[in-house]
Amino acid sequence: MSAIPETTRKVAIICSKGGLDEAYPALILANAARQAGIETFIFFTFWGLDVITSKKVDHLHVNLAGNPASGVPTILGGLPGMEAFAAHQMKKSMEDLSLPSVREMLQILDEAGAALYACELAMKMFKRTREDLLPQVQEVITAGDFYDLAEGAQIIFT
Amino acid sequence: MSQDLTPITRQLDAITAQLAYLTERQRRQEELFSELTPVARAAMSSATAKLAELEEQGLFEYAKELTELGRQALRGFSPQDVRELGESIVAILDAVRALTQPALLAMATDAAAAIEDAGDVKPLGIFGMVKATRNDDVQKGMAVMIEVLRRVGHAAGAASTKQRELSDKKDKLAAMLGARRQKILGTERPRLLTNGSPSATAERAAPARSAPKAAPKPAPAAPAPVVIDGVAFGADGHLADPAAWRRDVGVAIAQLQGVELTDEHWHVLETARKDFEATGTSPNLRRLTEVASVTTKDLYRLFPKAPGRTLAKIAGLPKPAGCL
Repeated sequence: MSAIPETTRKVAIICSKGGLDEAYPALILANAARQAGIETFIFFTFWGLDVITSKKVDHLHVNLAGNPASGVPTILGGLPGMEAFAAHQMKKSMEDLSLPSVREMLQILDEAGAALYACELAMKMFKRTREDLLPQVQEVITAGDFYDLAEGAQIIFT
Repeated sequence: MSQDLTPITRQLDAITAQLAYLTERQRRQEELFSELTPVARAAMSSATAKLAELEEQGLFEYAKELTELGRQALRGFSPQDVRELGESIVAILDAVRALTQPALLAMATDAAAAIEDAGDVKPLGIFGMVKATRNDDVQKGMAVMIEVLRRVGHAAGAASTKQRELSDKKDKLAAMLGARRQKILGTERPRLLTNGSPSATAERAAPARSAPKAAPKPAPAAPAPVVIDGVAFGADGHLADPAAWRRDVGVAIAQLQGVELTDEHWHVLETARKDFEATGTSPNLRRLTEVASVTTKDLYRLFPKAPGRTLAKIAGLPKPAGCL
C-alpha cells in the first residue's frame, strides 16, 4: 500500500511554440504532473505566448508544411487554408475524444494548481501587455526568474 | 731494267696526281677562307650588335629571371610531379586550346566588363532573381551553367571513385600488414567498457580472480497482492478486486491517505464507483468533473496531492484511465 511520497517532486515546462499540436503536449504533461502530485509550472515564451493570449488561444493552428508526420506533402501543406483546415480537423477529433480545448485546459491547470508564467522578453517582442493575457497567467517573469522558480525541478522543453 | 722501272714510274705518276689534287684542294680552301673571313667578321659584328641591342632591351635580365623561375619550379616540384605533368600535358594543352577559343575569350571579356560595371548594379532579392529568369539571355546562361554544373558533378563523381579505388587498395594493404601493426599498438580488440564484466585483458591479467558469471535475472513475475485485514491490494496500492470494496474499507484507506471523508467526498466517491460500474473504466478527473458536476479545483481540495489516484484508491477502483 503506497501512500503519496512526502518528498515533493517539481517539474518546469517550457512552452515555446504556438501551434495547436505544439501547445497540447506541454499542457497535457503539466496536467498529468499535477495529477501525480508533482509541483508544476509552465513558462510560455516566444510563440508559446499565443497559447495564453486571450485573442489567440481559440485560433491556434496546426502547421502541416515541413512536418513529414502529417502525411501532407510540404508543397501542399503551405497552400492557403490548409492550416485552418488541419486545425479544424484536429479540433474535431479532439472533440470526439471529449478532450478539453486549450482554453479549458488552461482553466483546468489553473484549478489544479499549476502556475502559468509568461516570458517578459517575448512580451516585449510581440508587443503584448498583461491585459492581452488570460487571467490564469500568474506573472510575467524573466529567464532569470524562471531559473529561480525551477530550482530543484525537472525541466521539460516543448 | 726499263721493265723494272715501269712500276716505279707508275707509282710516281700516281703520287704526282695525288699531290696535284691536294694542292688544288688546299688552294680552294684558302680561297674559301679568304672569301669567308670578311663575311664571318661582318656576321659576328652584326650578331654582337644585335645582342647588345637585346641587352639594352633588358632581355638578359628577363632571361635571368626566367632561369630563376625555372629553378624555383624545380624546387617546388618533385620529379614524380613532373612525370605526371608530362603524362597530362596533352590534356592541359587541349584545355588551354579550348579555353582560348575566340568565342570563349569574347565571353570572358564580356563577363569581365560586367564585373567592372558592378558598381552600378542594384542588389537583387529572391523576387528579383525570379524576375530576372524571365530574360531569354539569363535563361540561356542558366541552361549553360546547369550543363557545366552537370559535367563538373560527373567529373567530381569520377574523381571520387578513383580516390575510393586508391583507398581500397590502401585498406587491402592495411589488411595484409595491419594486424601485426595493431598488435604492436595494442588495439587489436575493442575494449569492453560495460559495467560488471571485466574486459578480456583484465581477465587475462588476473586469471585467479575469475569473473563470476552474471546471475540470470529472474523474470519480473507479477507481484503477489498484499492482503491487509482480509482485503487484497495490488502493487500500485489500488484494490485488487473492485468488487471486494466496502464502505469501511474505503474509510480505512482514506485514513491511511490522510483524508477525512465528508459528504462532499462521498458524493464524488459514489459517483466514481457508479461510473466505473457503468463504463468498466476507472474515471479520470475530467470525467469526474463532468459526471459528478464538481470543479477540478474542488477535486484537488478534497483529495490533495494526487486527487485522481487518491480517490480511486479510496473508492476501491483501479488507476484512473487516460491522461486527463
